[in-house]
Amino acid sequence: MSRSRFSALWLAASLFCLWLYWPGMKAWFQQDDFAWLGLGLHVHTPAELLNALFAPKAQGTIRPWSERAFFMSFFALFGLDALPYRILVFATQLANLGLLIAIARRVTGSTMAAALAPLFWTANSALGLPMSWTSAYNQILCATFLLGAFYCLLRWIESGSWRWYAAQWTVFLLGFGALEINVVYPAIAAAYALLASRRHFLHTLPLFAASGAYALLHRALAPGTREGPYAMRFDGSILSTLATYWYGGFGSMRLASLEVPPWLSALGLAAPWILSLAMALFLGLRLRRGQWAVLWPLAWFLAVIGPVLPLRDHISDYYNAIPTLGLALLGGWAFTAAWNAHLAGKAAAVFCAALYLATSAPVARATVRYNFERSRAVRDLVLGVARAHEIHPGKVILLNGVGTDRFWAGMNDKPFRLLGIDDVWLTPGSENTIQAFPALGDVSQFVYPAAATLRALRQKQAVVYEAGGPRLRNVTQTYANMAPLRLKATLPGHIDAGNPAFAEQLGDGWYPAEGGYRWMAKRASLRLGVASSTGLRLFLKGFCPATQLSKGPLHLQIFIDGQVYPPVTVSRPDEEFSFSFTLPAVLKNKDFVEVVLEVDRTVVPPADGRELGLAFGNFALRRL
Amino acid sequence: MRRLTLLAAAALVLAATPACKRQTAKVETIENEQPQLASAVSAGDPAHAVQFVQGFYDIEQGSWRWTRGKFSITLQAPAGAAQKGAALELKFSLPEAVVKKVGPVALSAVFDGNPLPPEKYDKDGEHVFQRDIPAGLFRGPSVNIEFSLDKFLAAGAVEERELGIIVQSAALMAK
Repeated sequence: MSRSRFSALWLAASLFCLWLYWPGMKAWFQQDDFAWLGLGLHVHTPAELLNALFAPKAQGTIRPWSERAFFMSFFALFGLDALPYRILVFATQLANLGLLIAIARRVTGSTMAAALAPLFWTANSALGLPMSWTSAYNQILCATFLLGAFYCLLRWIESGSWRWYAAQWTVFLLGFGALEINVVYPAIAAAYALLASRRHFLHTLPLFAASGAYALLHRALAPGTREGPYAMRFDGSILSTLATYWYGGFGSMRLASLEVPPWLSALGLAAPWILSLAMALFLGLRLRRGQWAVLWPLAWFLAVIGPVLPLRDHISDYYNAIPTLGLALLGGWAFTAAWNAHLAGKAAAVFCAALYLATSAPVARATVRYNFERSRAVRDLVLGVARAHEIHPGKVILLNGVGTDRFWAGMNDKPFRLLGIDDVWLTPGSENTIQAFPALGDVSQFVYPAAATLRALRQKQAVVYEAGGPRLRNVTQTYANMAPLRLKATLPGHIDAGNPAFAEQLGDGWYPAEGGYRWMAKRASLRLGVASSTGLRLFLKGFCPATQLSKGPLHLQIFIDGQVYPPVTVSRPDEEFSFSFTLPAVLKNKDFVEVVLEVDRTVVPPADGRELGLAFGNFALRRL
Repeated sequence: MRRLTLLAAAALVLAATPACKRQTAKVETIENEQPQLASAVSAGDPAHAVQFVQGFYDIEQGSWRWTRGKFSITLQAPAGAAQKGAALELKFSLPEAVVKKVGPVALSAVFDGNPLPPEKYDKDGEHVFQRDIPAGLFRGPSVNIEFSLDKFLAAGAVEERELGIIVQSAALMAK
């Protein structure tokens, strides 16, 4: 393919991508973005930097290029200006489209297929989320590494130059820093060699050794979970999960939930079946002629979706973002074959392409639009709080009327600390109208205690903003007038030990709060409010500096409502610890429970002079 | 290989284009608060949101809010209410889904600690809960009204939220 033709195809695909996903370019941050953006806040030494970049995080992920280095460096450069982040995401995706064109041309031998494959992939709704949520950049960047490595393989096969073989290895190995899915690349390469260029097959086998080593290392660093949505289940459910991803791979699964005419909605439901049938027909005809290479795009789909198939309870539309690249290539190939066959073939090809584009692209657009609007609502909340902090420096900011969506997208991941603002809370009672998602977090941890609210309002140390509308509205005076009527000074079921607002729940044996924690002496007590006494568990979290363990592990004895619990051991230096305990079935008081903590040994740092036991962060009562 | 390098370089250049740190945009807040509560509040008006004290979900379609089984509203007593009394009015919709699932629903209200006679609704659609409030019940500049439904959709019955009725507005009107 000439350079000018390649450029024309790439430009067309790029323009289509920009047009379809443009709201994604203007999207702000939300949810996990804030956790990644805050990663660098506590990095002060090279060791901390290494830890921040490479230590396994949630669900054992290690993604320095697509998450940690990306967010940390961009936050250092651009702060909370989302546009540069979005530009990088789009630039990477446009590079992906260029690679796909080059690959499709080589695999299919057809310029038409090379033109259609990126258009079909772009129109797939699985790309909606990665193109509008920066935390899903890992999908886009992983596609770059997979496509890049495979492109190098094709060039090596084509030219025989070992430089390309070496380039393939380099890109493949670097890809592990984008997403764990990179581990499937050897299967993609081997499948192609097996189906289209057998004499190169043996040279793809060493790639498996790298993937195997990575898998072992990953397993050692981040053992899989047996419970919860990320538990892997190797049973018959794998097939039904595969069927779900296959059906969803045609992009129209969510069309029925949009406001579209009923006929289009019906077409959306039928499209995966019709398009599957068309693909099967194409594959059958080509395989009858012995053209095994047509199976390769299917191998791509299966290889990339394979690792998530055991996640029966965590099916996500965007997991299809990279696998559907294979289906798009197959679609482009099938279209070309039908177009070149006869008039009926042309009609069938146009019908299938139109059906796919009409039922998938609107879902992609709706997804990107939804994320854009959601992120903008978060932006208004976060930057509104920043403005409120600027107007009322030093005051506690209480937010009233933060809805479910805004809370989980814009508050749960603590975005305010990125602006150096710590005292932002929900008004007491707000938690009742925010839908609970225990897997994501605990709303009650964000609620300011009622007694502290009344006191702060009385002393003019707090401002209250209504967050139900598009802009924050200062309602401090109105809220303060109503507060004595609406708030009962009951004890909260949680304590943020490092925050002075919770001080009145703490009994003897505590030192003043410092750095988000609070030290206990040898023995300390506290009280937690109990709304309902059945099925509760106490969760506590703290931090243990290495100095406390210089004479061996510490034992923490706990008494709940006077009942003695078996001691727990704190043995990991300079790390957070957490424990949980089931509350007694019957409590002495119906409104609160008393907790006493005692360590078997204390340390008196010479420069400090205090007798220090352990430092605590949070205490919370939650339902079992 | 050259093309690949060019492509990577183009991506980098694109990413580096905005390499000067722009000032984070400012989002203004509304600070000119009306310190006095309103006697009539609309569920869709964010300016009144603070008076929908408890048991209300987010504003929907800019005009109404779902409630839980129990909810409360604070209203300013209208002028002269302590002498002449006032009329309480709650405009709401009883959704078909609720009636179908739980049958007729009774709405009760407690006006600043004083129970008002409940009312039963057996048909879905628009309703107005109206009560005359005697002057003696107005003891301060504002009042808190706690509403409760005898039956509602428990969390998980239709959706994850506990759902009661759909409130459009509430008002205390001078006599």
